[in-house]
Amino acid sequence: MILNLRTLAGSLALVCLCASAAGQGASLTKDEIADAIRTDDFSIPMPAELMAALEKQGKLDWSAMFRPPIPTNYPNRAQLALNLGSLVADGFIAVQAEDSRQVINLGKDIIQLAKNLGVPKDILTRSSSISDFAERKQWDQLKEELEATQNEVKEAMHGSKDSDLVTLVSVGGWARGMDVISNYISAHYSETSAKILRQPGIVQYLNRKLDSLPDKLHDDPKVKNVRMKTMQMEMIVSFPRDKAPELADVKKLSELATELVKEISQKEK
Amino acid sequence: MKRSLIIAAIAAGLVVAPLHAATDAEVEARRVALELAGAFSNDGFKLRDGVCAGTVEPGKPKIVQVNLYAGNEYWFSLAASGKAKKVAVTVFDEIGRKIDAEPYQEGVTAAAGFSPDASGPYLVKVEVVEGGPSAFCLLYSYK
Repeated sequence: MILNLRTLAGSLALVCLCASAAGQGASLTKDEIADAIRTDDFSIPMPAELMAALEKQGKLDWSAMFRPPIPTNYPNRAQLALNLGSLVADGFIAVQAEDSRQVINLGKDIIQLAKNLGVPKDILTRSSSISDFAERKQWDQLKEELEATQNEVKEAMHGSKDSDLVTLVSVGGWARGMDVISNYISAHYSETSAKILRQPGIVQYLNRKLDSLPDKLHDDPKVKNVRMKTMQMEMIVSFPRDKAPELADVKKLSELATELVKEISQKEK
Repeated sequence: MKRSLIIAAIAAGLVVAPLHAATDAEVEARRVALELAGAFSNDGFKLRDGVCAGTVEPGKPKIVQVNLYAGNEYWFSLAASGKAKKVAVTVFDEIGRKIDAEPYQEGVTAAAGFSPDASGPYLVKVEVVEGGPSAFCLLYSYK
């Protein structure tokens, strides 16, 4: 009897071990996928990741992608948040172009926008470190500094009454990244580079967050317009894994992203 | 250089300020995860400033969605602190199929490295393979 129990216990232990090993290798269920954690600062890639992927296709002229300076004193907080994200993306473009002057100017604008959003003073000291790294041409450190600045601003917003604005910072950064990258790919089309534009997870996440904004923000004309554009963009960036979007689709995406970034930065008259 | 920056950032508390007061176990998990990721920076990997942290129990893995780009290489670094003795990190594609990633496993640390062949969402599973509930910290590097 004892022997039988031992044999049974041994068998059970073996089954458990096998189940454990199988658990590590098994596929995920639909429920597990649906319930996966999605967070702003982990699930949404920084513009530098997209730029790194595109750079694999060859050396790019990043300075050709600069845009004229935008205002930093919008009266509307939603618009301030959207433009803060887009300016951080501009910062990454300037770092990629290795243009110290542009980085310093953008660093100042980013901090000014953050200040106008009421971000605590201690975070605003990052402006001087951005300038220092830029003057020393420490490009890798600058990328880290820009990421850290954006994340700290978002954390400060989470900790205050502005947590809903965090989504808008992410949307602004994503839109400007898509603007630049889709413009480049439409002008230098290849199937390989066009496949980089596949981003259904990002845009679905952002659209869900936009839909769940409180009414006051959700009904803001700028935010409504953003939502309309991102809905159209979602259809284009949700192509199958094994296919590339056609040139016409990339051009359409580029038009939408450019319009979106322009509308975000335009001041109401 | 990069490693010293990471250590300085930990010391200064600059690595993503948490929303709540972090426990000692969470701080330790983050320190070890950053140390592990620091090893990949020697190969040119850039650490993404952002972590996924919390607690994980045996039999109750945590699954996190990330969005990756074809052409880049990625390393996901995991560390746990608490009652865990062995942890694992596994990567899946968007429909839940396991990705054949390069594994690393050493006690309460684990890592998985791979280059996605398609851009899009991927899922990273964090689990305690041996031991009890623990704080964990997951982060990733890319190049």
